[in-house]
Amino acid sequence: MGAGTVMTVLTLLLMALATYCTRIGGYLLLNRQHIAPRTAKVMEAAPGCVLIAVLAPDFASGRMADLLALTVTLVAAMRCSLLVTVLVGIGSGWFFRMILPS
Amino acid sequence: MQVASASHCPPSTRMEVLRGLRSALPIMLGFIPFGLVLGAQARMRGFALFEVPMMTGLNFGGGSEFAAVGLWTSPPHILLIVGVTFLVNSRHLLMGAALAPYLRAIPRNKMLFCLFFMCDETWALSLTDARKTGFSLPYYMSVSLCLYMSWVIGTAIGAVAGPIMGDVSRYGFDMAFPAVFFVLLRGMWKGMASALPWGVSLGVAVAAYMVLPKGWYVPLGAVSGGAVAWVQARS
Repeated sequence: MGAGTVMTVLTLLLMALATYCTRIGGYLLLNRQHIAPRTAKVMEAAPGCVLIAVLAPDFASGRMADLLALTVTLVAAMRCSLLVTVLVGIGSGWFFRMILPS
Repeated sequence: MQVASASHCPPSTRMEVLRGLRSALPIMLGFIPFGLVLGAQARMRGFALFEVPMMTGLNFGGGSEFAAVGLWTSPPHILLIVGVTFLVNSRHLLMGAALAPYLRAIPRNKMLFCLFFMCDETWALSLTDARKTGFSLPYYMSVSLCLYMSWVIGTAIGAVAGPIMGDVSRYGFDMAFPAVFFVLLRGMWKGMASALPWGVSLGVAVAAYMVLPKGWYVPLGAVSGGAVAWVQARS
């Protein structure tokens, strides 16, 4: 087992531990009243903020074709199922990069 | 499989398991395409075949797994990935707290085991159920195991099939990643109140990505978005 594999397995184990802590944390606190309403609001917003931040490299590429494809995909995501959205994303990425070479 | 193992149980438990199976079925169908895409993308990012079901089987949280794959490098930034996993899954803390008052009759150690399988969909179904007729552990576990198996198997199939169709990456296949994220985000949308924290998070993350070393853009973006939500919550 190489050093890379050890790091990967360690990362996966710690990920699993972090997730398990979130699953039992609320139960062990027992009651929502222990969480201040304001803290609860921030915790509700946090997952979306993290996920959208992960997409930053896609938005920062500066290529017009990518930005157009992202916009089309976003509109598709608001209305369509996952499968359709993914197909629209792939199709629009292919299309805009073809007509707007960087 | 569920039905077979239930045949030795008292009839009421068996009914609950079957009821869980019926509730889980449409969600299982929804999990499969997500799982296929995740498995394929993980392989493109350098995951070994066995590492994909290992991640999805131990972690079992789709949003955090897509985020981890998106941030994956070789070797991975452990702190970044574990931190992002915790933040993406921090919603479980609230979900568990909301369910807790219905779980008082169940022994704690048993529940600590069963909560390993709690995901958004199981939680929503079980809480609705608990409010109507009380919490049913056989129902919860039946839904949980169906969804767990379809997720682990779906991602494993994606991990096997992904590299076979690997060449499609140059035809815009990388857009599948933001596409999945947009669909995940739609599920987290809480009305216009979500727009400002998300917009700030994205803006700060894009700026940080352009000027700072890799690895800073997610924590900076997320903290900025969280700060906006904190200010918003006062009004």
